[in-house]
Amino acid sequence: MWLRIGKCIAGVGSLVLLLTVSTLFWAQDQKGSASSLTATLPAGPMAQKATTACTECHEARIILQQRLSKAAWTKEVDKMIKWGAVVDASDRDPLIDYLSSNFGVDQPPYVPPRTSSGTQKSK
Amino acid sequence: MKSRRTFLKMSGAAVALAAAPRFSWAMPFPQSGLIDFPNEDGMIVRSYRFVDLETPVQYFDTWLTPVPHFFVRNHMHEPSELDLPEWRLSVGGEVDKTLSLKFSDLAKLESHSVVNTLECAGNGRSLHRPQVPGIQWGKGAVSTAKFSGPRLRDVLQQAGVKSTGKHVMFRGLDEVPGKVPPFIRSIPIEKALDSDTLIATHMNGTPLTKHHGFPARALVPGWIGAASCKWLTEIKVLDSEFVGNFMSPGYRLPNQPIKPGDAVKPEDTHPVTALTVKSVISGPVEGSNVKAGKIAIHGAAWAGEADVAKVEISTDGGGTWTPATLGQEKAHYAWRLWRYEWKAKAGEYSVLSRATDSQGRTQPDNPVWNPSGYLYNAVDQVKIHVA
Repeated sequence: MWLRIGKCIAGVGSLVLLLTVSTLFWAQDQKGSASSLTATLPAGPMAQKATTACTECHEARIILQQRLSKAAWTKEVDKMIKWGAVVDASDRDPLIDYLSSNFGVDQPPYVPPRTSSGTQKSK
Repeated sequence: MKSRRTFLKMSGAAVALAAAPRFSWAMPFPQSGLIDFPNEDGMIVRSYRFVDLETPVQYFDTWLTPVPHFFVRNHMHEPSELDLPEWRLSVGGEVDKTLSLKFSDLAKLESHSVVNTLECAGNGRSLHRPQVPGIQWGKGAVSTAKFSGPRLRDVLQQAGVKSTGKHVMFRGLDEVPGKVPPFIRSIPIEKALDSDTLIATHMNGTPLTKHHGFPARALVPGWIGAASCKWLTEIKVLDSEFVGNFMSPGYRLPNQPIKPGDAVKPEDTHPVTALTVKSVISGPVEGSNVKAGKIAIHGAAWAGEADVAKVEISTDGGGTWTPATLGQEKAHYAWRLWRYEWKAKAGEYSVLSRATDSQGRTQPDNPVWNPSGYLYNAVDQVKIHVA
């Protein structure tokens, strides 16, 4: 059923939809109320490699919300490499440094976005 | 496949946004932004891909949680294609006769309903100190619904469980990325044969939505949410506990309390099964400014397979405790809503709630730390300002 709906939507024209998305998100960003569907990792020497290695399977918010020690990040990175994250051996330590410096225990709390169903009722 | 799926999601979001391009809603909660998400309303987005949505505690104001407010926990990607006529549920392993059931076969079986409070084992993980890795749930990875469908027992009896059958394994249709181990778990045969353990097809009287396991999910009442496998496609009777990441090391607790950094041997752990006793204050919320006078403190309390015996409230930081009034609506595996009318004078307050269950368990003052942050159930607390 979802596939049929998807094909139907695709038939409307991807260009129009993409323009709609970008226009609406741009408009909402100006109000400070919209959030991208998926988040991005902060800039840094390993940002691109972290994005490639991690967000193939899950989005960046799963990383952004963690507040972990370097020892805990080391365990997580090694687990994810075992689970298929592609990280060159020479990139392992810099990746752990990047994650533990950006998402260490002293960082301020992460504030998550909310869903809007498009038919939000007042509570 | 993946790019198409992403595109379909993006397209759906675009259409929904275009249909309702309102940019200045009155926001009920502080938030860093909004993500359009059809049929999910005001939920906290822990992750968009894969989908993990938390219920704000303010929504704990109805005994049954409306489906758009019911928390969503996915370990993997939701199935990209689900075609009901093609869907089959296989039953095999230590049975006399293997089965391949269509949805219409399930619909012919007697339907049973269970009102169940479903809670993620990691609910409250973000409150542990030091913090531990995983989805950083606040207090809202818990909701209550009336689940309906055939009893798992009836399906297992059709297949005929052999005397060697000791555990029942569930496999879902979720899509596994990379080399991640598949989300497969098992429950002991005794729980599988319990008359309240279901193959649920409905939630609050309507067919399961995709986020909640359409077309069928296991419903293992009183147990952690991870036991209730979604998008069910295979049931296998085993002669012992399933061996896999999500049985061990996943979803296990140390047999004895440990300190952060302590090593735990696998043989010194046990699987997390039933939920523990817990209460949460749904209002006033943390940081509220409230007018002096009569203030209603309210929330929900649950205890897994046990019953909630009492909920007590303290408005002086734990010095004295007064019983709250429990709501009329109750069911064996369901939370109780509770309420306490408080005459408050101006000041700064730390309001606490503490539940005790029929097994004599009481919420601890301090959380029991564990490496994966499971079963957080410390006394709940909100700080409020009364003027």
